[in-house]
Amino acid sequence: QESHAVGKRPHNPTDLVEEGDLLLTLNIFYPVIFQKHKDHKPYQTVLVLGSQKLTELRDSISCVSDLQIGGEFSSQPDQAPEHISKDLYKSAFFYFEGIFYNDKRYPECRDLSRTIIEWSESHDRGYGNLQSVKMEDYTFNDLSLKIGFPYVFCHQGNCEHIIIITDIRLVHHDDCLDRNLYPLLVKKHWLCTRKCFVCKMYTARWVTNKDSLAPEDPCFFCDVCFRMLHYDAEGNKLGEFLAYPYVDPGIFN
Amino acid sequence: SAVPGLQADCEELLGAFQQADTVRFERFAELWRERRFHTIFYGRIRALERNKLTKKTLELAQQYFLPPYTFQIRVGALYLLYGLYSTQLCQPKQKIRIALKDWPEIQRFQQDLIDSQHYDAAYIFRTLRLARAFHFTAMPKLLNYRTKKKIQENEFKEEFKDPSNRVNTLITNDVLEELMNIHDHYQKMKCVISADKSQPDKALSLIKDDFVVTLKDITLEHQEWQQNRMKLFQNAKETDEKSNKKEEGTMLESEGSERANALARIKYRSYSAVVEASKSRRHRQVKLESSESGTSCGKSPSRSKKNSRRPQPARRRDSLQ
Repeated sequence: QESHAVGKRPHNPTDLVEEGDLLLTLNIFYPVIFQKHKDHKPYQTVLVLGSQKLTELRDSISCVSDLQIGGEFSSQPDQAPEHISKDLYKSAFFYFEGIFYNDKRYPECRDLSRTIIEWSESHDRGYGNLQSVKMEDYTFNDLSLKIGFPYVFCHQGNCEHIIIITDIRLVHHDDCLDRNLYPLLVKKHWLCTRKCFVCKMYTARWVTNKDSLAPEDPCFFCDVCFRMLHYDAEGNKLGEFLAYPYVDPGIFN
Repeated sequence: SAVPGLQADCEELLGAFQQADTVRFERFAELWRERRFHTIFYGRIRALERNKLTKKTLELAQQYFLPPYTFQIRVGALYLLYGLYSTQLCQPKQKIRIALKDWPEIQRFQQDLIDSQHYDAAYIFRTLRLARAFHFTAMPKLLNYRTKKKIQENEFKEEFKDPSNRVNTLITNDVLEELMNIHDHYQKMKCVISADKSQPDKALSLIKDDFVVTLKDITLEHQEWQQNRMKLFQNAKETDEKSNKKEEGTMLESEGSERANALARIKYRSYSAVVEASKSRRHRQVKLESSESGTSCGKSPSRSKKNSRRPQPARRRDSLQ
């Protein structure tokens, strides 16, 4: 995997990756959004240092579900809320080898794994003793891991990503040795962006349902076309429709 | 997905080195240069493919560096790795993977080299280490999770293929010769312990005397049959494709399926005659279901009982009514 950061050295010597540190290669799969991806799930490849905390990886994972804006805004299109889901729903966990590592850095964080643990303990389901600990207390060096075995990252309550570790090795002279650049994204699947139905040029930012003015349901619009079609010069709502802010998965391309 | 020809080339070079019966690097270098082995990396121009090719080449060569290969092969593999690592076209260079579990063995190997005064090999290894040619990894092979988009099946023309003859691969000429020898020896042994030294006792006659000859004849017969079949197949292809193929079809079918055909014909004859139900039961005409049709599959059991394949004689149901 070609990396743009190959051989990079930090400006600050304290940011130098130590000799003997481990380099893990992780494939983080996107949750299935499109049916066409069912058989060949797109993934991104990330390099992470053994000495890094799990929370550092968690913060680096970019998923479109974090950017969702909840709510129907046909009556007040200018007032889409400031907060995206990432800010509202901060809970997340990793699951490795029978242990759930829950993000507990913020007061809003909840233990998402509790439901699973309770379910597992309610009957003898053969899953052994599942535990729940704090994500921020552990580094990758602390974990027991299997290479090639699927693990899980869960956030936003039900957005699940499979994580597979494909390689673990000692860090090498030719690697990027700037700590600040890790976790390092080396490979990313490019997703097709959904374009506005009207202009077919810009990425869709709105989606409408039950739209009397639209030819299909759901129908996607860019911001400009959306407003031009659905509102008059004074900003009054024309026709009947429901409108939701839309974040395209390809936004991270 | 293997690189075509890579293994063959590497094994040829290592084989030649083994033949040379030496572990001197200069001999290996001669063999390498004779073959212009560095050109193994040519042909992949794009960086991504070049990386993949180089990785696979190093991965393949690395396998010969470890047990259970002989000492000479392992030294050859070391030289091969050195050659491949040095002549690769990737920048930065692709590394040689050494798994944690293999490292102690390699250290032992290095010590062996020094102890046996194979200083050229030891020097080569040291050079690789100083060049930072190794990645020290948890697992020997790098995992690749790309599912193959297309499984490449090379479709060769049927005529190009050597007809696979399992009988001949089992009963080879060598096997037959060996059997013959054993058989003769056996006969001789029987004579030695018999009363009449010129022939074995009748009591010892436990197998057919000509069994090896018979075996040979059977395999020859099989081979001829197969060749005839191939010829028929080829002839059929050459004739007009549009013509009715039924006749040729039956010729081509193997003898095993002749029986199946005969059975099918009998069935067809017996089931094509459907007994017509009497007038009083004309709403219950027996329907002929063909076993070839796919429609009978997946029907609910109750329906299939009704449309029974067997022609049913008009049964006396009056008593039930």
